[in-house]
Amino acid sequence: MKLIMAETLLTIREAAKRLCVSIDTLRRWDRSGKLVAVRKPGGVHRFYQASDLDIFTNDLAALAYNWAVAGGAVVPDYYCSNSGQFQARLNRLQHDVQTSNGFDSSLVALIIGIAGEIGNNSFDHNLGKWPGMPGTFFAHDGFRRFVVLADRGIGILASLQRVRPSLSTSRDALFVAFSEVISGRSPEARGNGLKFVRQAVIQNPFSLVFQSGDTQLQLKQGDTKLQLTKTAKVVPGCYALIYY
Amino acid sequence: MRIQLYKFGNILLSRESGREALLAFQSTFPPLKKTESLEIDFDDLGTLTPSWADEFLTPLAREIGPRLVLLPSKNLSVTTTIDVLEKSNKMRFNWNE
Repeated sequence: MKLIMAETLLTIREAAKRLCVSIDTLRRWDRSGKLVAVRKPGGVHRFYQASDLDIFTNDLAALAYNWAVAGGAVVPDYYCSNSGQFQARLNRLQHDVQTSNGFDSSLVALIIGIAGEIGNNSFDHNLGKWPGMPGTFFAHDGFRRFVVLADRGIGILASLQRVRPSLSTSRDALFVAFSEVISGRSPEARGNGLKFVRQAVIQNPFSLVFQSGDTQLQLKQGDTKLQLTKTAKVVPGCYALIYY
Repeated sequence: MRIQLYKFGNILLSRESGREALLAFQSTFPPLKKTESLEIDFDDLGTLTPSWADEFLTPLAREIGPRLVLLPSKNLSVTTTIDVLEKSNKMRFNWNE
């Protein structure tokens, strides 16, 4: 617990809404020291400094990335163990984005569609073959306006190699996944989810970082080509950071 | 005949639920007459995605062709989804502009 005279203090309810976690989670984090609340002199109620939340949320994308790379425990508020849970969190995301100030409401459906297709892919392509912890990391920062998703699945390359054995690098696999109609679950017709993601991002004020294996794709409004770069760290499954 | 898609859910996501929706539609609605059109109403829908729509709209369009009529929508997830399906499947949907 910290005792300070703060500049701008948020109530625990306001902080929970901003971090998209429950009030109980914030109380737990305060007790454990993960995110320490502040008290007004002589007071008992928990408050949060805006700057503390900024620092914390800055770490949210890194938290997801580190989990995508190395695995380990996940904060329950940011973890969906199955597709039903993911769908429920997606509904909550829709509500949170819809109620955020100053956001063009016509874009909400696209944010949900982008996050939905990426998250749903995680479950569909890894069903019955999760090499590590099943499920997805799924978090939203309404203040910084990003959604982050990650999984510890087989990744894009292994998924597409089943139908295109000639693919040998994550770079080629990512290029194909975002450019061609190809399914990792052939003969079932599939494969247009990431094309939807690409089109929604380049036609709207969004940006996307997507990594699988040792290759990261960056995409933003107006892009005509896919920008792919090799990374030092390898994501065995998939990682996606969507700014809106 | 008109189908209001919001009755299948607010966020229409995943092939599995798209297939379920099509089965539910086929078992619930009466068969179309030979010249009757099937209108798809997107009003009050939250989000449409290609994974769902490819299991629901694409089979219907293949079965009845231009008699599947999409009613106008300003929902960007609807227009983007239809655009992606048209490119992926090399087909055209019949919009009632």
